[in-house]
Amino acid sequence: MKHPITRLFIANRGEIAVRIVAACRKLGIEAVVGVSEADRHTLAAQLADRAICIGPAPAARSYLKLDAIVTAAKGTGCQAVHPGYGFLAENANFEALCVEHGLLFVGPPASAMSAMGDKLRARQTAKTLKVPVVPGTDHVDSPDTVRRFAGEIRYPFLLKASAGGGGRGMRIVRSANEIDGAFTSASAEARSAFHDPTLYMEHYIERARHVEVQVLGDEYGSIVHLGERDCSVQRRHQKLIEESPSPVVDPVLRARMADAALRLARHVRYVNAGTVEFILDLDSMAFYFLEMNTRIQVEHPVTEMVTGIDLVAEQIQIAGGAPLSISQDEVRFDGHAIECRINAEIPERDFMPSPGRIIEWEPPSEAGMRVDTHCYRGYVVPPFYDSMLAKVIVHGRDRSAAISRMAKALDSFKAEGVQSTLPFHRAVLAHPDFEDSRITTQWIEQDFCREVYGAHSP
Amino acid sequence: MSLTHEDVQKILAILDEAECEEVRLEFGDLKLHLRRHGSSLHLQHEQRPGDKDEGQTRRTANEEAASASPAPQQPRHEEAIPEGVMAVTAPMLGTFYRMPSPGEKPFVEQGDKVSPDDTVCLVEVMKLFNSVKAGMAGTVEQILVENGTLVEYGQPLILIRKETS
Repeated sequence: MKHPITRLFIANRGEIAVRIVAACRKLGIEAVVGVSEADRHTLAAQLADRAICIGPAPAARSYLKLDAIVTAAKGTGCQAVHPGYGFLAENANFEALCVEHGLLFVGPPASAMSAMGDKLRARQTAKTLKVPVVPGTDHVDSPDTVRRFAGEIRYPFLLKASAGGGGRGMRIVRSANEIDGAFTSASAEARSAFHDPTLYMEHYIERARHVEVQVLGDEYGSIVHLGERDCSVQRRHQKLIEESPSPVVDPVLRARMADAALRLARHVRYVNAGTVEFILDLDSMAFYFLEMNTRIQVEHPVTEMVTGIDLVAEQIQIAGGAPLSISQDEVRFDGHAIECRINAEIPERDFMPSPGRIIEWEPPSEAGMRVDTHCYRGYVVPPFYDSMLAKVIVHGRDRSAAISRMAKALDSFKAEGVQSTLPFHRAVLAHPDFEDSRITTQWIEQDFCREVYGAHSP
Repeated sequence: MSLTHEDVQKILAILDEAECEEVRLEFGDLKLHLRRHGSSLHLQHEQRPGDKDEGQTRRTANEEAASASPAPQQPRHEEAIPEGVMAVTAPMLGTFYRMPSPGEKPFVEQGDKVSPDDTVCLVEVMKLFNSVKAGMAGTVEQILVENGTLVEYGQPLILIRKETS
C-alpha cells in the first residue's frame, strides 16, 4: 500500500463496527473502535484491539461529534478512519477534518462525495451524461402550463410542492380532466403547509422496483461494477430484504444499468465503494437514476456472497492507496444471495421499536448462511440508536435455492427477550408474490401488511 | 434486583435528554429518585427479610456527569478508591492538561485544598480548552493521568477526598 495502514479507527457502532473489525483482522490491521458510553460493552468493543469512549449515549454527542472522533483517532495512533454507514459516512466536513489532520478517510474524495451528495446537482450530472432521470419539470405556474407539459412527462404524473415533503401538496394526475382540480388543491395545500404554493411535475412510476449497482474504484482511475442488488421489499423507504441478482433484470438491461452507473462514477472520478441507485419502471422496463450513495451500504453482503469480493477489505486497501484487486473481467457472479434485516420491532404494532435485553440468541450457522450482527445473549438493545439486530444473508445456486435456505435460516434463528421482525420475514419469504417476484416497492405497505396484519395501513 | 454502573449511566443519559426536572422510578423494592438541579442521585435498595445484603446499599452519583460542566462521579476502578474519595472525570474525550499553558504551574498538586468551583485541569479537543472544575470541596488525593495524554469520556482524572462537614 502507498499509505500503509497499521491501525484503523472505526467511527460507527452495531453490526457494521463488528464487520469492519473482521476486515481489519483479515488484513492484519489493528482496530480501534470509538464507542459511546452506552456502547462500552458491545461486541465491537470486545473484539477490537481497543475501545475508546468518545462521549455520552446520544449520537449527537458521540457518534456525530467530528472533533471528538478525529481527536480519538489521532490520539490512539490510527492512520485511517472508517465511517461505516449512517452517522458521518456522507459528511463532507468530517472527511475534510480527517484529511486536515492527516487521517485517511475510508470513502470517496470530498469532491466526488459532494458532487453526488447534492441531489439536484447529481440529477443534472446524470442528464449531461445521458443517464435517464425521472422525467420532470421546473416550476409550473398554471393548469395550462401543466397541460402543455403533460405529453412530455406522460401520465400518470405527480404535481408536487417544490417546498414540500412527506406527501403533502402532492397529487397524482392520471388524465387531462384531473389537471384543474389537482392543481388547485395541491397548490392550496402547499400554501397552507409550506407557505409556498409553487408546484412542479414529475412522472409517477406506479409499479417500481428499486435496483442499485455496486461500484468500486481506485485512485488510479480503475472502476468496476459488481452487479446489482434489488431492494424492492421496503417499508416507508426502509429496505427490509435485498437480493442479488435482481429477479426482474435481464442481461441486456443489466449491462445498460451497469454502464450508466460506471459513466456516472467515472465522471465524478469516484474512488472507493459506492452505489448508484435506480428506479425501474415495471410497465416500460425503463430505469431512472435516483441518487448515488457514497459509502458502504447495509446490504453490501449480498454482493459479497455472489462475487466473493470482500467489499470492506477492498475499501480499506483502496484508502491505503492500493489498486483494485480485480479487473472487470475477473468479476464473476455465482448463484443468488438474499439478505433479511432483522430489527427489534413489532410489525403488529406498526413496527414499533422494541429495545430490551436479549435472553436467548442462537443465529443460524449452516453452510451458505451468514449472520452479520453485534448481538449476543445478554446484550441490551439500547433505545438510543437504530433497531437493527442482525442481517441474515444466504447464498444458493439459484433464487429458489436461496429462498429455501433463507426460510430454513429464519426458522432456526432463536431470538428471545426483544420482539423481532423474524416472523415478518418468515411470512414474506413464504408469500407467493415474493416467490414469483410479483412485487413492487409499494407491496409491503399496500398488500402484504394489510393482508397479514389487517386494518392498519401506512 | 440491582442496578449496575452502566444501568445508572443509561438512566442518567435518558434524564439528560428529557425535558423533565425530576424522575421517580419504582420497581419492586427498588426506588430511584433523580433530580436535575438537586445535588445528587439517590438509589435505595430497601432491605427485605432474607436479603443477602447486609444493611442498606446507598450509592451516589451525580446526574450532571453527562452534561457540559464537569462533575464528580464514582470512579470506574472502584476497588482502588478508598472511602470518602471521589473522582473528577473527563467531561469529554480529549487531551488532559494539568496546567493552563506549558511551563506554568499546575492547577493543583496532591494535597492541595480545593473548592467546588476551582479549575483542576483542562481537557482539549481540537484547540478548544475546556476547564474542568473540582465539583466538590476537599483535598486532592491523587492525580491519575499524566499531563498531555488522551483521556476518554468519563475517565477518572483526579481523586479528591471530600471535606467532611
